Amino acid sequence: MVKNHRLKWLAIPLASSIALGLAGCTQQELRGYLPGEPGITNHTDRVTGLWVTSWIILLGVGAITWGLMIWAMVIYRRRQGQTGMPVQLRYNLPIEVFFTTVPLILILGFFAFTARDEAIIEQRYQNPDVTIQAFGKQWAWDFNYTNEDVYYSGIQVQPDLAPGAPAGSIDPASIPTLYLPVGKTVEIQLNARDVIHSFWVIDFLYKKDMIPGKTNYMSFVPEREGTYKGKCAELCGEFHSQMLFQVKVVSQAEYDAYIQSLRDKGFEGQLGTEYNRNLGQANIVAESAKK
Amino acid sequence: MSTTLVPTPVDNAASGAQTVGVTRAVSKGNIVVRWLTSTDHKIIGHMYIITSLVYFLIGGVMALLIRAQLFAPGLNVLATKEQYNQMFTMHGTIMLLLVATPLFAGLANELVPLQIGAPDVAFPRLNMLSFWLYFFGALIVVGGFFTPAGSASFGWFAYTPLSSHTFSPGIGSNMWVMGLAMGGFGTILGAVNFITTIITMRAPGMTMFRMSIFSWNILVTSILVILVFPILAAALLALAADRIFNAHVYDTATGGAILWQHLFWFFGHPEVYILVLPFFGIVSEIIPVFSRKPIFGYKTLVYATIAIGALSMTVWAHHMYVTGSVLLPFFALLTMLIAVPTGVKIFNWIGTMWRGSVTFETPMVWSLGFVFNFIFGGLTGIILASPPLDFHVSDSYFIVAHFHYVVVGAIVFGLFAGIYFWWPKWTGKMLNERLGMMHFWLMFIGFHTTFLIQHWLGVIGMPRRYATYLPDDGFTWMNQLSSVGALIMAISLLPWLLNIYLTARYAPKVTVDDPWGTSRSLEWATSCPPPRHNFTSIPRIRSESPAFDVNHPELAPAGYALPAGVTAAAITSTKKG
Repeated sequence: MVKNHRLKWLAIPLASSIALGLAGCTQQELRGYLPGEPGITNHTDRVTGLWVTSWIILLGVGAITWGLMIWAMVIYRRRQGQTGMPVQLRYNLPIEVFFTTVPLILILGFFAFTARDEAIIEQRYQNPDVTIQAFGKQWAWDFNYTNEDVYYSGIQVQPDLAPGAPAGSIDPASIPTLYLPVGKTVEIQLNARDVIHSFWVIDFLYKKDMIPGKTNYMSFVPEREGTYKGKCAELCGEFHSQMLFQVKVVSQAEYDAYIQSLRDKGFEGQLGTEYNRNLGQANIVAESAKK
Repeated sequence: MSTTLVPTPVDNAASGAQTVGVTRAVSKGNIVVRWLTSTDHKIIGHMYIITSLVYFLIGGVMALLIRAQLFAPGLNVLATKEQYNQMFTMHGTIMLLLVATPLFAGLANELVPLQIGAPDVAFPRLNMLSFWLYFFGALIVVGGFFTPAGSASFGWFAYTPLSSHTFSPGIGSNMWVMGLAMGGFGTILGAVNFITTIITMRAPGMTMFRMSIFSWNILVTSILVILVFPILAAALLALAADRIFNAHVYDTATGGAILWQHLFWFFGHPEVYILVLPFFGIVSEIIPVFSRKPIFGYKTLVYATIAIGALSMTVWAHHMYVTGSVLLPFFALLTMLIAVPTGVKIFNWIGTMWRGSVTFETPMVWSLGFVFNFIFGGLTGIILASPPLDFHVSDSYFIVAHFHYVVVGAIVFGLFAGIYFWWPKWTGKMLNERLGMMHFWLMFIGFHTTFLIQHWLGVIGMPRRYATYLPDDGFTWMNQLSSVGALIMAISLLPWLLNIYLTARYAPKVTVDDPWGTSRSLEWATSCPPPRHNFTSIPRIRSESPAFDVNHPELAPAGYALPAGVTAAAITSTKKG
């Protein structure tokens, strides 16, 4: 009884400090430190929700486990002057059943939400408004705008040679750029010309590998205009860390203007698989046999 | 026996001498020859552990170079990015396959025959062959550094086609492939040896369910080894055939890129359990000793180990969520399920302390550090098991942070727990407690400083294996904090090395079988270090704690006769004041 009484008094300051703590949280903290802001694509809020909820539950489990461990260390420490041995307890079946089944239930719940969200995120659109064919290549990107039959061929980012640029800066004009119209369903078809790359738009909270000999798909709706950083996320050779790009989500008018600018420069048609360096070792052997 | 004219430190190294009773001085050359030609499991264990610790230091220096390179954007600590790629490739390869995997064999050699009451392993000469296969395989792997193009640089998981002859033509890459294949055969033969030893060579009374948890874990680990290392060997030899003979096994046109990933991770995921299970075993040995209680839920722990071993064979494709080539819900569910037996282990370790009488000697402190770190590594593992969350953080520093919480936070901490615990058994001298504590706290602080921040680094978008980053990425201060932590970790090894030196030089010899006083498993019922064939007599084995039963017969379970005048009551304490 006395213990319960004490706990009641503890509850008020505890609850108010949690409330105060949460009220003082920044936007970034409430998003579990995920980059970007709400509503960048139609999937990011879903991912953020699962991320934050999972972390709250897991840190709760962690706090209980760490707490139990430290509690046992403190309460059952051998005090000065103690002699003899404790009871040689070997089993406690109810406790063991408890700590096997409770995690199992938590896990199954977590799996249910995971399976639901994963199915939605991976769902392809029947007729996407915009289809992009993206090729990863050592160490840049090609983007085919298949609906418009134009293409963009990127080069590796170049160091910023402007005086006064901080060490390690790159020339912003050299970053390969993909334009997407806001609010449209987008499908990006991911391929690779040589080794495996991975297409990661950081604020989209999504990446997918670009694998030679295979096409992967990424389906989403960009919902907020802006410029988003992208990075290759699969080791692809010496200049892996220079294999950067950006995604510009723009209005339909700006998008059309950009497509027109590509057309004006003569970048019409598509850069297909014929530019792949990795046509299979069979071809390489055949080529070397000819010589 | 006391007539041996061996100076103390030398005698300490050559434990084989004392039972023979030679009366001539043993020269250093003699010792070298004895070690090189030894089939004694204890000496082979020493050689495994010493070799892997040397590689541990080499891999650690590489980690420092990596952290130095990432201290600020645009640095060129290493001359080229290719050299940086070689560094992290070899850091990963060395730490996983030349340090942690042989440590399994080393620790099993040191302890399994002693814990089951056997005079040696079942196939001593095969044991010796296993070690030398590892030794020379490892030399071939790191020998790549001395070739013109340098060592392998395609990451420790060597994804094709990057690891093909087309994109990584160097001879160092061939040496990486063949060296690992050779070392892998050593691991396979070692595992065969341990399985046979455990099945056939247990002492009378040592039933399977009286075997120490460590030996159980070695058994499960060895079974995993013979299930998956042949896959690695086959995959590597096929890669070698592609590279050297222009074979077409991993042709991208026929799905070779994904084929390699399946083969590699079918090995690679059980491999991480091969790495960590022996260290689960170590803390399961240490926590009961310093809690003065038997391990809590012995059988649950054994079944949990078996469950982890079985499940670990079914989850390899969680490394491949972002390849778009695997059935996500299947692998997500099985991966999450591993959390259950792993949680059982953690709660059993806590349950062992529960109602115990806990003291905090160095092995116990390291073990508790292990449990503390491993809890967090497990939690991030559950996050990663969920594909929608993994899509964002996969291949980022979040992954690097996660697995370092397991391989450093658990394996390295478990390793040091074991080293401090069994040092008297291996060398006959106790390591210094004060230096051990300094070592622990420096390592603990350095470890969390290095790796905790890397979770955030990954979440905000830093991919792993980047040789540099941009000033406007916002990664700089986090990388600097991490690099400072790495330096603290490196410094933490100095008290340990000093400890080894001072102990070998000045510490008194341990004269009792069990210097800790409350040890449990059978190795503590023989001298420190044990004689050539381990036991002069074997105590009665009536529980999983035979050494404890000998020293504390009043607390032994039923079936253990009490000496006259001893009462069976276990009184917790007589408090004063």
